[in-house]
Amino acid sequence: MFVSLNLLLQNIANGLLIGCVYALVAMGLALQFGVMNVINFAHGEFVMLAMYITFFLSFSLGIPGELTLLFTFPIYFVFGYVVYKLVIDKVIDAPAVSQIGITIGLLILLQNLALAAWKAEPKAVQSTFLTGKINLGSVVVPVSRLVTAVVSVVVLFLLNWVLNKTYFGVSVRATSDDMRAAALMGVNVRRMYAVVFGLGCSIIAIAAAFIMTFQQVNPLAGLTWGLLSWVIVAMGGLGGVTGVLASGLILGVAEGLEITFWDPRASTAIIYLIFILVLWFKPKGLFGRR
Amino acid sequence: MDIDKLKPLVVFVVVLCFLPPILGFNNYYVLIVTYILFYAVVVSAWNIIGGFAGQLDLGAGAYVGLGCYAMGTLLIKWNVTPWIGIIASGIVSVFFAAVIGYAAFRFGLKEVWYALATIASVVVLQKFFLVWEEVGGPAERYLPVKYGSIYYLRFATYTPYYYILLALLAISIFINIWVRESKLGFDLLAVRENEEAAEMLGVDARMSKLKALMIYSFLTGVAGALYALIAGYIHPSQFDNSISLEVAVLGIVGGLGSIYSPPASVFILHTLSEYLRSTIGAWIPGVHLIFYGVVLMVTLIFIPEGLSSLFKKLSLKYKPSKREIG
Repeated sequence: MFVSLNLLLQNIANGLLIGCVYALVAMGLALQFGVMNVINFAHGEFVMLAMYITFFLSFSLGIPGELTLLFTFPIYFVFGYVVYKLVIDKVIDAPAVSQIGITIGLLILLQNLALAAWKAEPKAVQSTFLTGKINLGSVVVPVSRLVTAVVSVVVLFLLNWVLNKTYFGVSVRATSDDMRAAALMGVNVRRMYAVVFGLGCSIIAIAAAFIMTFQQVNPLAGLTWGLLSWVIVAMGGLGGVTGVLASGLILGVAEGLEITFWDPRASTAIIYLIFILVLWFKPKGLFGRR
Repeated sequence: MDIDKLKPLVVFVVVLCFLPPILGFNNYYVLIVTYILFYAVVVSAWNIIGGFAGQLDLGAGAYVGLGCYAMGTLLIKWNVTPWIGIIASGIVSVFFAAVIGYAAFRFGLKEVWYALATIASVVVLQKFFLVWEEVGGPAERYLPVKYGSIYYLRFATYTPYYYILLALLAISIFINIWVRESKLGFDLLAVRENEEAAEMLGVDARMSKLKALMIYSFLTGVAGALYALIAGYIHPSQFDNSISLEVAVLGIVGGLGSIYSPPASVFILHTLSEYLRSTIGAWIPGVHLIFYGVVLMVTLIFIPEGLSSLFKKLSLKYKPSKREIG
């Protein structure tokens, strides 16, 4: 099959840009799963809801989508904190089955809450600062996607800095390594969990605000984001920010190549195929997992 | 097998036989209970892998979809009767499950990773059938409209499907009882409690998990074929990962490893949800499922062992004599 070089380069560029966003969305989950070992199947629904809140604020306040971050960031921190206290805290020591069951319940609840509030039609943000496109030779890069990718990478490295250099970050990593020892060293583990859960949700809010500059949202959007995040966590493992970013980029490029050489309709299939193969042959992830 | 173990099954089935006459053969109500029975069959089958073996399989959507497509393709392309198609559906599902399951168990996937690998297989198959134009493709393919025909297994009302699914549910529960009583059942329970210890004692953990998976996927594939017959068409959306999630959560809420309470929970929760759909669901779409999600969460928070422990407590309360004897 003949494929033009331009098309290939364009799809790889798109893949790299979207890969950064995948990594940012998955980082929220990697943080929550890595620190408190809780299995959250509703992660994608958190993303979907954040996208709706971005749409709602942008629409009702008449401000560009990316500015709503000023509100969604704190709102989502509180949301995460409350969800932790109401739901996750109850099953934090329970077997995996209970955690999966309860978060699937949360998934059904959030999905239909969005359906009841905003109906089934896809919604998109009306105004954004990030318009226009840049021509790099033959490759066309929309500004919205470029800025989103840059913001994603910056947030990821900011988070890396927080986890490695601040007192808070060190106590998070200590809790992740050994919860009991950290508790004995004076870390308030339960509060730490709630804060980390809130922080993970805030990261989602950042991603969602920028995703909405170039995508629509519907109540079923969450399933894809949730599975995708788990794929990245499985691949990048808990190897920290670099592992997650690398996995996100690999998946983005794989998707781009698939679109070039096969059929755009099957673009997500290749991601899950890679996922199944990684689980079979590299069960510890490409970049190390416990 | 102890005949006494089958008594509740007979009562269960006989009571359900009278449901369509009680509903006055109203097509809408019968359709609702038929769908409830479909879920009950799949949840009851899921109990073998999820409840006994403790493996959180989220592949139900894949097996249902393969069931739809195996039966549908045989019928549409080669005019093969669904009676054969239904069995073929089960076999195709078993084959797929065996490949996925063999690799998953061979490479030691557990808990969430097994769950994710199986749900990923649902999405892969859905996209695969979307692209595969000869068999699938983005358009619905309709089954021949030959109502009242035994050969084509198509009926103008839903009552015959209700009884076919009821028979399948009875078979599924019977297999549950049989597995629970057999060596396989004890092997599976041992694997669920502690896989390493079970293997130390000579249980072939991989093989017994694979057997459980194959039984479950056969029943789910057959149920999927019936699902396509009721719907009257086949479409890639029948590879539905929300079926996977719902079946697993109903199995967990029902109580892992309990034989009657997962299907019973399906009846209770779906009836409530359908009641809400018909009363307030018309004003606000999705409100019945909001309630459904809340009930699932609250149940798991307050009764982590699932509804089976609640049923057990109730039965002990009202039958104190049995407790003294037993």
